[in-house]
Parts: sequence; structure tokens; C-alpha cells
Amino acid sequence: MYSSIVRLQNTFGFFTTVAFVIAAFIAASDLIAPRTPSVGVIKPTNVQVVRGRPHYYSSKKEEYAIIKFSLDADLSSLFTWNTKQLFVYVTAEWPSAGGSGSGQNATNQAVIWDSIITAPSADHLANLGPIAMKKLKRSAQGKSIDPSRGKLSIKNQRPKYQITHPSGKVAEQEDVVLRVHYNVQPWVGFLTWNQDADFWKWKTLRNNLSKKFTLPAIKKKDEKKAGASN
Amino acid sequence: MMSSLQNPRQAAAQLMNFGLILSTAFMMWKGLSVITDSPSPIVVVLSGSMEPAFQRGDLLLLWNRNLFSETNVGEIVVYNVKGKDIPIVHRVVRKFGTGPDAKLLTKGDNNAADDTELYARGQDYLNRKDIVGSVIGYMPFVGYVTIMLSEHPWLKTVMLGLMGLVVVLQRE
Repeated sequence: MYSSIVRLQNTFGFFTTVAFVIAAFIAASDLIAPRTPSVGVIKPTNVQVVRGRPHYYSSKKEEYAIIKFSLDADLSSLFTWNTKQLFVYVTAEWPSAGGSGSGQNATNQAVIWDSIITAPSADHLANLGPIAMKKLKRSAQGKSIDPSRGKLSIKNQRPKYQITHPSGKVAEQEDVVLRVHYNVQPWVGFLTWNQDADFWKWKTLRNNLSKKFTLPAIKKKDEKKAGASN
Repeated sequence: MMSSLQNPRQAAAQLMNFGLILSTAFMMWKGLSVITDSPSPIVVVLSGSMEPAFQRGDLLLLWNRNLFSETNVGEIVVYNVKGKDIPIVHRVVRKFGTGPDAKLLTKGDNNAADDTELYARGQDYLNRKDIVGSVIGYMPFVGYVTIMLSEHPWLKTVMLGLMGLVVVLQRE
């Protein structure tokens, strides 16, 4: 029966099949694009521990750490035609009291800084003001892929998030490390993170761990206040 | 066109056919649920809090098994909050402790503040059991159909009616 309904149905069915097959090919093409991300430098530059309210909605005073850091990384190989955005984040990791060492066994992990790097094809989706948006779009005019955005060189960066702990104590914590991670968001397909081992053409992110450091004792904020009131 | 309705045997066969399609879809959904160990393995993004990664109407594939490692910081998870029906898709930004009692804090990439205020009253962190799955796959736009259907309920009736009509009128 060749009624118009059947024809419409067949056309729609064929369209979805083609769309899904193309999407599958695009998703699979990620695998053959080599990934050779590298971190040059990741190190804390200035660490402070303060006692106070880390957020406006904090109900109690607690200790929090502010870790400034420097980061040098080349993540340009992660930008392919299927990359929508790259999410780069730096975590601080430290063992629990009595816990095992840092690294994979770290039992406390907190993001201290993150950054969304959109591919030029996704610039229009970024949450930016009109001026910043114009600047961003102009930075990659005429390009649909801009690997140079993956080159990061950040010096003495203030963290976006302070570190706290449910116990309220972070001062003089030993064996803290900073670790760089990334998450590739595709236009279609599987989300990927930095993997622990080489996977065919995808190399692991080497050198993404800082040296161990110790958080300092609490910086007395009250000293200043006490001085002022005298 | 209506001849099929006059033949009860054919009408019954078409009804069976319609039932088969529905049950196949249901079995595929439940099968995916078993494989991913998630009560709802595919979710549609409803808000812009994870933009620019996810827009409204995008389809996400979830995975809820911890085969090689625990749910870690940086993963995008879908979680439920007690007393709220709508699951939330946000990124894990802090994790204290390990195992089922680990305390997890989430935040939307596009939000300035973390999710403490979205949680239930008196709840400061999520546990693993609050999480329905971690996002592993992404497909844009496709989920917009369901948003349309839930926002304009009459479309549901129209679509079901059309589907029924096509199946009934179809002759093999």
C-alpha cells in the first residue's frame, strides 16, 4: 500500500537511520584522532589558611585554604572537529587522617579551579557578556577548530573555590597535591576524561601532579582587627 | 481503508503488532536499565545549568556501575534530592572519603555557586546512593521531543492517535 502516510513514514525512517549512522561515524572518529596532552608546570605558588565563612550561605565558621597556583599545559591535541568544549580543572587532594598516601588513594578531593574552553563552533553557547563574546568570536574568526586555545599558561592564579573539609579543619594538613584533569565534551558521542593509561592513540596526561606540600597554620585575621580597635 | 476493521482476524493481528512494538520498546528500555544498572539510563536535559556542555533537549546516556573506579570528582552525575521529583545533572566538584559513605558536592558548570542550596534541608552533601548514574554519552537535540510532549500534553494524544491509526491502517 503506497499511501502518503507510508511514504512519509519511510522518508522519516530513512532520515533517522542516516542521521544516526553519521552520528555514530562522527563519534567513532574521536578514536583515530591522536591525543597527546601534556602538562609543563603545575605548582602551588601561595597557600593560605583562614578561619571564617567561605560562602555567604555558610552557617558556621570553618577553616578554609586558598591555594594560588601556576599551570602550564598544552591540551591543543584535544580539539578536533567533534570537540564542543574542553573542561579543564585542577583539584587539590589530600589523605584523610590515618589514611593512605596521596594520588589515586587520596580520600579528599576538591576542585580549586576550573575553566570551560569552548571550541569556536560552540562559542555562541558560552555564557559570556556581549563584549567578552565578541572578543571570543573574533579570536578564532574563520576557524572551526582552534587548537591554540588548548595552550594554557597561567601564573599565580587565584583559585575559584576555597578548600574546606566537613570536619572544619584543613590547617597544617600534610601531603597535599594538586592534580590537573580534563574532560572533553563532544558534539555527539562519548564523554572522555584524562585516562590513567595510554589507550591506542590517546596518551595519558603525564606530569599532571604537583609536588606534595603542607598547608600552613591559620593566618590570624583577628590581629589586624585587634590592632585597629586599640 | 477501513476494510481491515471489517475483518476481525486482521484487526486482531494488527492489535498484536501494535502491542509488540510497545513491548519491544519497553523491553529495550528495561534492558538498558539492567546493563547500566540505572533506573533511568537515558535522561533529557531540562535546564541550562550545565551550558555550554549540555543544552535543553539534549539526550544523555548514564552509567551507574563502579567497575574500575568509584564515582570521582569531575564526573557529571544525575542525582535525586529527597522531596524533589526532578533529577538534576551536575558535576561532582568535591569528594570527602571513599566508599558508599563518601560525601560528594556537586555544582553546575554554568552556576556560580555549588549545589548546597539545591539539596534537602539540612543536607550538605550527596552520598553515592543519591546518584542515578554518571553521564557517559551525549546526543544533541533528540530529547526535545519529550520536552515538547510534556509541555504540550495534547501532542501526546495526537501522537498516540497517529501511531495507532498508522498501525491499524497498515496492511502487510
